[in-house]
Amino acid sequence: MSAAGPALRGRRRARTALALAVAVLTAATACTAQESSGPAETAYKEGTLRVLASSELADMEPVLEQARKATGVTVKLTWSGTLDAAEQVASGQADGRYDAIWLSSNDYLRLRPEAAGKLSSETPVMSSPVALGVKPQALARLGWKPGEVTWPAVHEAVAAGKLTYGMTDPVRSNSGFSALVSVASGLSGAQSALSDADVKAATPRLKEFFAGQKLTSGSSGWLVSAYGKRGDVDALVNYESVLLSMNRDAKGAGAPLTVVRPRDGVVTAHYPLTLLASAPAGARDAGRTLTDWLRGAEAQQAITGQTFRRPVAAGVAPAAGLDQEKRRELPFPGSRVVADGLLASYENELRRPSRTVYVLDTSGSMGDDDRIGRLRSALTDLTGTGTSGTGRRFRDREEVTLLPFGSKVKEVNTHVVEPGNPGPALDAIRRDVKALKPDGGTAIYGSLEAAYEQLGRGGTDAFTSIVLMTDGENTEGVGAKHFDSFYARLPEAQKRTPVFAVLFGDSDRKELTHITELTGGRLFDATGAGGSPAVAGGGSLAEAFEEIRGYQ
Amino acid sequence: MRRILGILLGLLLIGGVLYVALQGQDHPESTATKTVRGVIGSEKSEFFRDPDVVKALAAKGYTVKTETSGSWAMDQLALKEFDFAFPGSSEPAKEVAAAAGLKGAQETRPFYSPLVVIARPGAAKVLAADGLATMTGKNTGTLLMGPFLKAAAEDRTWQQLAGSSAYAELTGTVFVKTTDPASSNSGALFLAATSNVANGNTVVADDAGIERTAPLMRKLVSVQGALETSTDDPFRAFISGSGEPLILVYESQVASLLLQKQNPGEMVVLYPDTTVNTAHTFVPLSEDAKELGTLLATDPRLRELAVLRGFRPQDGVAEFTAATAPHADYLNPGLTGIRQVGTPTVKILMALAQRAKG
Repeated sequence: MSAAGPALRGRRRARTALALAVAVLTAATACTAQESSGPAETAYKEGTLRVLASSELADMEPVLEQARKATGVTVKLTWSGTLDAAEQVASGQADGRYDAIWLSSNDYLRLRPEAAGKLSSETPVMSSPVALGVKPQALARLGWKPGEVTWPAVHEAVAAGKLTYGMTDPVRSNSGFSALVSVASGLSGAQSALSDADVKAATPRLKEFFAGQKLTSGSSGWLVSAYGKRGDVDALVNYESVLLSMNRDAKGAGAPLTVVRPRDGVVTAHYPLTLLASAPAGARDAGRTLTDWLRGAEAQQAITGQTFRRPVAAGVAPAAGLDQEKRRELPFPGSRVVADGLLASYENELRRPSRTVYVLDTSGSMGDDDRIGRLRSALTDLTGTGTSGTGRRFRDREEVTLLPFGSKVKEVNTHVVEPGNPGPALDAIRRDVKALKPDGGTAIYGSLEAAYEQLGRGGTDAFTSIVLMTDGENTEGVGAKHFDSFYARLPEAQKRTPVFAVLFGDSDRKELTHITELTGGRLFDATGAGGSPAVAGGGSLAEAFEEIRGYQ
Repeated sequence: MRRILGILLGLLLIGGVLYVALQGQDHPESTATKTVRGVIGSEKSEFFRDPDVVKALAAKGYTVKTETSGSWAMDQLALKEFDFAFPGSSEPAKEVAAAAGLKGAQETRPFYSPLVVIARPGAAKVLAADGLATMTGKNTGTLLMGPFLKAAAEDRTWQQLAGSSAYAELTGTVFVKTTDPASSNSGALFLAATSNVANGNTVVADDAGIERTAPLMRKLVSVQGALETSTDDPFRAFISGSGEPLILVYESQVASLLLQKQNPGEMVVLYPDTTVNTAHTFVPLSEDAKELGTLLATDPRLRELAVLRGFRPQDGVAEFTAATAPHADYLNPGLTGIRQVGTPTVKILMALAQRAKG
C-alpha cells in the first residue's frame, strides 16, 4: 500500500496536467488560426527565422531543410532585390518584420549611413563570382579561349555585332549591379575603386557594350527561363553558380554554356547571413545556431555540391567544374555617390531605352472597391517625385504609352521622357492617369492586339514590353484564339515583346497565364496573397507595377 | 503515460511551473549555469563557439552567448542587452564602457593577436622581388612598411612590379585590404601603424600630425572601395579562392586554422615590420559577467583553448610558441624583427579614419 502511494499521487498529478495541457493546446490552436488570417508578416515564432533574401537563394531550400533537421531552426525566406532590401533595412521598415537578411552582398547596404547599428553578426556563407555564360557556337565564332577573355574583348565583340547577351537590371538585382561595376572597371581601365571620372571616361564604350544587351530581368531566376525561351541570345551574365546549375539542369538538352570569368577581374558575392540588431534575442540565438551549422564541413560540402557556390570553410573542396585559377576582385564603389551615379547613368544613358505600353482595364467594375483609385496611384508612383531615387521613375528616353480600355480601346496616349528635362512628359502622364474613368466591358485581347500594333510602329532600338492590368475576364471583342493567331503572324522581332500581366481583383489566372506563357512574359500577383518564386509579387498593385519595372 | 505526457508538454513549451509540478521531488533540479550574453569582435567567434570552450566555461558555471560586431561600432549597440563586450583592443573598450555609463569597470586583457597580411605565394614572391617584403620562411615573411607605403603613395600597380604578369589576379593598384577603420578594430589599427611610419616613426599626437599623414591614409583606404566591418569577410573570401591579393587579418585567424589542422591552402603570412601593440579587452557590463574576464585570463584550460584558437594569452609567448612549433613555416611566434609602436588616442585615430574615408 505504501508502495502504491507515490504512484497514485503521480497519476493524479498527471491528470491535472493533462487537463491543463488540453486547455493550452486549444488556446494555442486558436492563436495560430488568428495569426494565419492576419497580414503576411507575423511576429517572431520560436525557432523560425524570418529572413529577407536574394531570390537566387531558392536553390538553398534543400540545404536549409537539412539545417532544420540538424539544428531545429526553420528559415522562412522572403525574396527581395538587393537595393530594395537595403532600403527596407536602412529605413527601419525591416525592424520587427525580419530577423535577418541574406543577400548576395551587403556592400551597397553599408554605403547607407543609417544602416550602421542595424546589423548584428554578419557571416559569409559561400561565394560565387558574376560571370559570363557563353554558347559554344559563339565561343567558336569569336575564337575565344575561356581563360583569356577580358572585359575589353567582350566589349569589342559586342560593338562589332558579334555577341548579344542577357543581364538583370542593376537597379533591382545584384548580379546586374556586379556586372555593371565589372564592365565599368574593365572598360575605364580603373586600377582601384571606381570614381565618377572613371565612369565618365568609359561612357561611350559602355554605351556600345549595353547595346548588346537583348534581355533584361528583375531577377536572375527569370532571366534564366527567358534566356531558355529565346534562341537568339549568345550569352548570359549571371552568377557562376546559376550558370553551372543551368548546365546541370538542362541534362544534355542544348549544349552547355561555357563559363567565362573575365581575366581582368570579377565581382564576387559572399552571401553574408546577417542578423538584424532589432531581432529578438531568441531569434539572434537561432541565427547563430544556423550560421554555425552552415559554416560546418557537412553543410559546406552540401552547398558546393548542390548549388555550385564556392565553400568558405578551409579544407572543403569546391565542387567539380569550379575553376580554381585566381581572378582579381574588382572593388565595389566606396561611396553612395559613385554607386548611385553609376546606376543612374545605366538607367538614363547607357542602356537601351524602353518602349512600354500599359494596357489598362478601365471597365465598369474598376469602380468597385476604389480599384480605379489604386490603379491611378500605382501609375502615378511610377512617375516619381522630384527626389525619387534611381530607378524610381520612368527612365530618360523611355516611350510610355497608356492604352486604357473598356468595351474597346478608349485612347492611345504616348509620351517620351526627355533626357535632362523629364518634367513635361511625367506631368503629362500624371494628367492622363488622373483622367482614367471606369466604364464599359472588358476587351482584353483586342486591346492587346492594339498594343502590339502600337509598338510595331516604332523603329528605334529599344526594350519593348506590354503591361496588362485587368480586374476581370474578357467579355467583349475578339477572343483568345484570335489573339493567338494574331501573335503567330507577328514578325519574329515583334514576337519578342513580352506581356507582363498583373493579377488583380477578379482577373482570370488561367487566361493571363496563357498570355504570359505565349509571349514569354511573366505573371505578377497584385491580389495581396503573398509571393512565391514561381509567381512574382504577392503584394499591392503599386508593388507589382514597381517590380515589373525591372523587366522593362 | 508519464513519458508521453512529458514529451507532449515539452512540445507545447508551456514552461516551468507545470513541468516542475509533474516532476515533483523525483528529479532534483540540476545546478543552473549563469547565462551571459556578450558582443565580441568576429575574430573571437570561433573561440566562443568551440565545443571545448563551451564545456570549459560550463564547468565554471557559465553559458556564454555571443554576437559579433565591429569593435569600434559596439558603442552604438543597445548595450543593456549584453553582459559583456569584448572588442579587439583597449581603445574601443573605453568607448563601450562610456556608452554603457560605467565608471571604473574591471577590464581584463585575457589574450591578444598581432595583425598580419595574408597573400598567395605568387603575390608574396612579387613583393619580395620588388623589395616590398622579405621572406623569412617558406610561408612567412615581413612586409616592409617603408617601401610599401612609398609604393602606395606613388599609386604603384601590380603590373609595374616585376614578375606579376605570371599571375592573372595581380593587376590594379597595390593595396592591403582592410576593414572599415571607422568601425572595425583591425582597420583602425592598420591606420595606427601606417600613420606612425608616415609620421617619421612617431605616434600621431596632434593636428599637425594628422595633416601630415591624412593624404596617405586617404589613399590607403579610398583605393579599396566598399569596406567591410569584420575581418571574417575578407578572410573567408581568401579561403574561398577569391578576394584581394593582400588581406589584413589577425594572426589568430591563420593560427587557428593551422592548429585545428585545417588546410589553409596556398597562403603566405606577412608580418608588417611596424605594428601596434594592443590586446583584446574584456569589459564586464553586468554583475553576471564580472568574473568572466579574469577566468578567461587565468584559467589554465581556457588559456590552452585560446592558444588552440590561435590567440596569444597574457604573458604566454612560451605557450604560444610551443603550441605552434609544428607550423613554424607560417608564423613568427617571437615577433622577431617586428617593431611595436603605440596607438594614437581614440580621438586622433577616429579623426584619421574620417579623413581616410573622405
